[in-house]
Formats: sequence, structure tokens, C-alpha cells
Amino acid sequence: MAAADSPAATLRRRDLCSRGIRLAGKMRADVVDLLDTYVERQGLDASASVSAVEGVPVAAVERWDEQTGTQRLLENLAAYRAFRVLLAQMLEEHREQLGEADAALGRALASVLLQVSAFAYHLEELLRLESRGPPSEEGAPAPPAPHLGLFERKLRGLGVLRELAQWAVRSARDLRQLTKPSPGGGSAPSRAESP
Amino acid sequence: DSHVQYERIGADVTMKCGSMDWDAAVTWTANGTDIDESHLNGSYLILKNVDLTHSGQYSCYEGSSWHLKYQTYLGVGTPPKEPVLMCRSNNYPKGFYCSWHLPTPTYIPNFFNISVIHGMREMVCEKDIFPKNRCHIRYLQLFSTVKYKVTLTVTNALGKNSTTLTFDEFAIVKPDPPESVVAKPVPNNPRRLEVSWQNPSSWPDPESFPLKFFLRYRPLILDQWQHVELSDGTSHTITDAYAGKEYIIQVAAKDNDIGTWSDWSVAVHATPWTEEPKHLTTEAQVTETTSASTSSFMPPPTTKICDKGAVVGSGAVAVCWTAGLVLAAYGVLFI
Repeated sequence: MAAADSPAATLRRRDLCSRGIRLAGKMRADVVDLLDTYVERQGLDASASVSAVEGVPVAAVERWDEQTGTQRLLENLAAYRAFRVLLAQMLEEHREQLGEADAALGRALASVLLQVSAFAYHLEELLRLESRGPPSEEGAPAPPAPHLGLFERKLRGLGVLRELAQWAVRSARDLRQLTKPSPGGGSAPSRAESP
Repeated sequence: DSHVQYERIGADVTMKCGSMDWDAAVTWTANGTDIDESHLNGSYLILKNVDLTHSGQYSCYEGSSWHLKYQTYLGVGTPPKEPVLMCRSNNYPKGFYCSWHLPTPTYIPNFFNISVIHGMREMVCEKDIFPKNRCHIRYLQLFSTVKYKVTLTVTNALGKNSTTLTFDEFAIVKPDPPESVVAKPVPNNPRRLEVSWQNPSSWPDPESFPLKFFLRYRPLILDQWQHVELSDGTSHTITDAYAGKEYIIQVAAKDNDIGTWSDWSVAVHATPWTEEPKHLTTEAQVTETTSASTSSFMPPPTTKICDKGAVVGSGAVAVCWTAGLVLAAYGVLFI
């Protein structure tokens, strides 16, 4: 708690949040571009409706404004760790499916995967500042890629990228909330949340 | 009993006088004026190919007693065409509103029903008292990829029509224009204008949902706009204004991440600072003055401008026989 309140910690948090917001903005722009490319290269309809895909973190949230800072960080971190796995799976499937035939799409996927990893790291750093530390990833094996047909995999990929685009917007908003001085936007865990 | 009936433009309308027999002697009036018997078939009133002028109160009176036997209001109109529906969020993330209108009037009363579906959930659209053709919805979720489906149905006595809009949460975000735009000259800077504005008051939380801005400006004498996009702050200094020219300036706003640009703000006008013009005398006054005093007004041979000792300002004159050349140069600039 003391670390979370020190001026140095406050400055560090603000700095991490500012950089995180910029990273989220860049990530979103790249994901939107990637979505256009993905839809085109996979022969999909851009307006295709994709129902909730199992294992894909959903950005939609109720009472968003009532969340504590720690809740925001934890939910974001869980989401980006999941996206890291999902994008890696997509990249692997893409390589198996097309090999070097569509290097541009592969590179775009890899670039977004890198940004997702960087963002997850940012979130872990922010959680460390809260003296809480990020939840461990050890012992939680990555869920295996479901056995889907080619078309289902394409639709799943579309769902992944769409949700990631939403998360990128949400994350920027979440980080802005963390920089607000009000108690509601603070990152300190409530009594109820303390381990 | 008074009745109401609605008929289409161009229809033929037959009105019965209540329970009176066909061969009863009756008098019909329209808005209090007797209707000619040529429009009667027995006691029935026949109106052929009705138009809007036929709308009004029709009354039927028993022939001899003048008892009112039947009364109806006739409204002539049309079934509704497909309504025009628009939804927009100018107060993100609180909610959004939808507003509607008919492309052409029906001339008879219409009833509007709106439904808003988000996934499996039907949402309540609270009708505004004013304007009547608008309702607003509170967001229950944010950052959803599930689209909203808004269906507006308009019904009147002659028919119904509907339209549906489908959109996602981010697409309809469009702030109101910035407010209180002010443009001022900058003292001693003939090419600068300082512009400031405020976030639209309808935008609920600019700290968490910051806006970015687009400023456009041009001198009144030109058609081409200059544009500047500003990612933060609510002020900007224009540094490349043409000296002495009146400018028109507008600002638009957009959420930093999502949605579309607002409409342009109200336009403001401003002219950059200019140095106060020095007042000059005619040659005759120069001659008169120099005859009274000696060399104080005589510029040195190399001087092309007015004597520094000359007073600038109202009521004062400066002596300078090359002033005409300077004036001519300024004149070219102001054309």
C-alpha cells in the first residue's frame, strides 16, 4: 500500500498509463487495419455476424464506470494474456494453411501479437506497483486450439480480432481512469479485494 | 356522438346520416356551411375524389326539425411513407438518442413506435417530451461488439410503414460542436490569431473520454480553408494569417478513439493585430508648416520615411514628401 501511494510510484503509474494509452491507440489502429486485411484475404463478409466465440475475452462490460482500478487491471491482463495465446494460434494456423503465400497477413498478425505481449507486460508492471503483483500464469496451460473446420477457424479469427479491437479502446479508457485522482479511479484494492 | 374518419386523398367517400333512412330529408353541413344537394344521394353525402380541402367537421341534420343526427370529423390524408430514422450518441458513454421524421406529411395523426434490441435484450427508449420525435437510451454495456437494432414503425389510420437501423456502439458516436469559440488578435503580432473553445457541454466526461479537435480558418476573401488537427487542448494560435485580413474560423470535435467528427461550430471572425496607421499631411500643409519653422521637419536626404519626431495619432500630422510612395505601396496590399 505504501508503495502504491508514494510520489515515485504515482509518477511511475502515470508514466506507465500514458505509455499504455499510446500503445493501446497504436494497437487499435493496427488491429483495425489487420481486420480489413484479414476479411479480404480470408474471403469473408466484413459485416458477418460472429456469435460469442469460446475462449475469446469479451470486452463488453456493464457498470464500467463503477469498476475499481485493480479490477480494470486484472480484467485487462486476463484478456491480453488470452489474446496472446489466441493470436499465436492464429499465426500458427495461418502458417500451416498458407505458408509463405500470404506473408503480409502473417507479418501483420505477428506485429499485433507483439503489441499485445507488450501491453500485457505494461499491465503486469502496473499491477506490481499496486503491491499486488500480477496473477501467475504458471500452472494454467494455454487452452488447446479447438478442432474447427477451415471456415469456422476463419470466423473465429474474425471474432478474435473484433474483440481485440474493442479491448484496445476499452484499455485506453481504463488506463485514463487510472490516472484520474478520484478514489473511484484509484488502483488501490478495496478491503474486500485484499488477499 | 361525434365520429372521426380518415380517408385517402383521391378516394370517394360516402357518409351516412347515422341511422336515418336513405330517403329521409336531411341537410348536411361542412364546417357549419350547408352542402349543396348535388352532393347528396338520398340522405347520403357523396364526396368524390377527396383532397385536403375536404378535411373538416361534417354534420347531418334532420330536415324539418334540424336535430343533429350525425357528426363526424373527416381527415383526408395518406398512409405513411418509410420514416427517416437517425441515431446518435453525443453524450458517450452515457447513451444515445434516436430521432425520426416522415419524408412527406400524411396530414392525419401518426403514431410512432420504436424498439431497440441489443443482442437478446430489448432496451427501453425513453421518449423525450420535446421534441416529440425523439427518445433516448442508456447504455447498459460498453465496448460491445454486438450491434444495436432499432426499428421504428409509424402507423396511421390509412396504413403503416417502418424502417430499421443496425449499428455498433462506436459508429454513432458524434459529439456536438465545440462551444464558446473565441478568436482574438495577438498584440504586436500581425500574423497571429489566438483561438480558444470549450468542450461541448453535452459531452459528460472529457477527462476520461477526451476529444480531439479540427480547426479550419480562411480569410474572408479566399475560398480555400486551412486545417489543423489538434489532439489535445482547447486552444490554438494561428501563426500564418495574412496581415490585416479578416478571418473566419470554425472548430469541430471528435472522440479521440471512436466515432465521427461533429458538425462545425458557429463561425467566429477575427482580424490579426495591425499597427495603427500614421496620419499624413498634404503637401500644402507641409509647405505652410515649413515656412513657419526652419529645419525641424526637413528629413535628412537619406530618409525615406516620416521624421521620428512626428506625432502619430489622431489630430497629428507628419511631414513626409515621400509618404505618397508609402501610401501607394500599402494601397496595393489592401486590394
